[in-house]
Amino acid sequence: DSTVGTSSDCQPCPCPGGATCAVVPKTKEVVCTNCPAGTTGKRCELCDDGFFGNPLGIASPKRDCKACQCNSNIDPNAVGNCDRETGECLKCIYNTEGFFCDRCKDGFYGNALASNPAEKCKSCSCSPYGTVGRETSCLQVTGQCRCLPHVTNRDCSACEPGFYNLRSGKGCERCGCNPIGSTN
Amino acid sequence: PRPDVSPPTPGTNLLFAQSGKIEHIPLDGYSMKKEEARTLLHVPDKVVIAVAFDCVEKMVYWSDITEPAISRVSLQGGQPTTLIKTDLGSPEGIAIDHLSRLMFWTDSIMDQIEVSKLDGSYRRVLFDEDLINPRPIVADPNNGRLYWADWNRDGPKIEMANMDGTDRTILVSENLGLPNGLTYDPLSRILCWADAGTRKVECVDPYSRYRKKVVEGIQYAFAVVSYGKSLFYTDWRREAIITIDRMAEKETDSFLPQRRSKPYGITTTYPQCPPGVNYCSAN
Repeated sequence: DSTVGTSSDCQPCPCPGGATCAVVPKTKEVVCTNCPAGTTGKRCELCDDGFFGNPLGIASPKRDCKACQCNSNIDPNAVGNCDRETGECLKCIYNTEGFFCDRCKDGFYGNALASNPAEKCKSCSCSPYGTVGRETSCLQVTGQCRCLPHVTNRDCSACEPGFYNLRSGKGCERCGCNPIGSTN
Repeated sequence: PRPDVSPPTPGTNLLFAQSGKIEHIPLDGYSMKKEEARTLLHVPDKVVIAVAFDCVEKMVYWSDITEPAISRVSLQGGQPTTLIKTDLGSPEGIAIDHLSRLMFWTDSIMDQIEVSKLDGSYRRVLFDEDLINPRPIVADPNNGRLYWADWNRDGPKIEMANMDGTDRTILVSENLGLPNGLTYDPLSRILCWADAGTRKVECVDPYSRYRKKVVEGIQYAFAVVSYGKSLFYTDWRREAIITIDRMAEKETDSFLPQRRSKPYGITTTYPQCPPGVNYCSAN
């Protein structure tokens, strides 16, 4: 406040890098108006959209603003891709999820970190007849669905040899063929 | 008057969002008075994406993806008001119908287009199907129509519908990349878009479907607004506002804000509403 007339009227802006500031008269709040590149916020304490960190080191160690780290599983045309402080990825694509878009979404399997999007996360596509409780999720890496008794294949889509009636929804039944009269 | 709101000049202004603030640039005819560019509103801890203007009450509407929320403030100052703050994911486009006093917005996480009255009441979902990355949305109040674009990489499209949700139609789906920006000029009845994928600005007459390229080889467009024979778009690569002359079909000017960061939504503020009525404006 330069109108009081004392030597302490004008104080340096509490902003990094010599940024300019302004006082909001009503609240007496000081707001930085020209934060260093890549930073924003009342005190330049936040990173720009698409970046994360803790540029001033308030409440936790100082971390310079870095681009969102989401294993190439975000789209550069999207906005709000990660949390500006923690870096948590908020807009994972290619059926991935997780803090760093580092695993497949429920109902998908494969390697979320593969470089080719086609090799990332594929749908489990568990057979509804052969899967316990008609679950749609499977094991992350192998994609194995949880099969009912005597049901086989990754997606629980077939009966084990010597069993039939997948469509019962209760697992496959033994064929009960006479071993002497049957060809295999 | 609120100290963090500096009222723009009485004429026409460009308004754009940039890293925690909304800036304005007065227009002198079609040219930007760059030396008079000022901050309209400081919201330091927010990321403002869409900006829209209601010419009746002279209010600026904006979306923030950090809260997320949709808010408004009077151009004359006063307290900003938050209108919508529940059940939002990533609101990235706002359209105002100044005649029927409605706002429409897109949300790329909820994958929806919603509508409410300008105070946020009477909120309804208008569309929740076949939307992947809906972003820009504009209104044609005189004809009760909405236009929006979806930059879905597996099938970008520009769509239109009536404001009551009827007659949803795909207007453009061929040769689109990332149609980030969309604008409608009520006088020439032309819909134009800025595409960060094809790096073109193109226009289409929504009635005849006649499509015409305006410029190509642009950098990285995020949002666009038309004003008479000019188009202004925000550019993520140059971190600038670019002027295009629609008739001369070329870029004619650019403005680099002092602060270097990506500019987002852009709109115009102007002293008088364009004339017109629609059937919703009679309630």
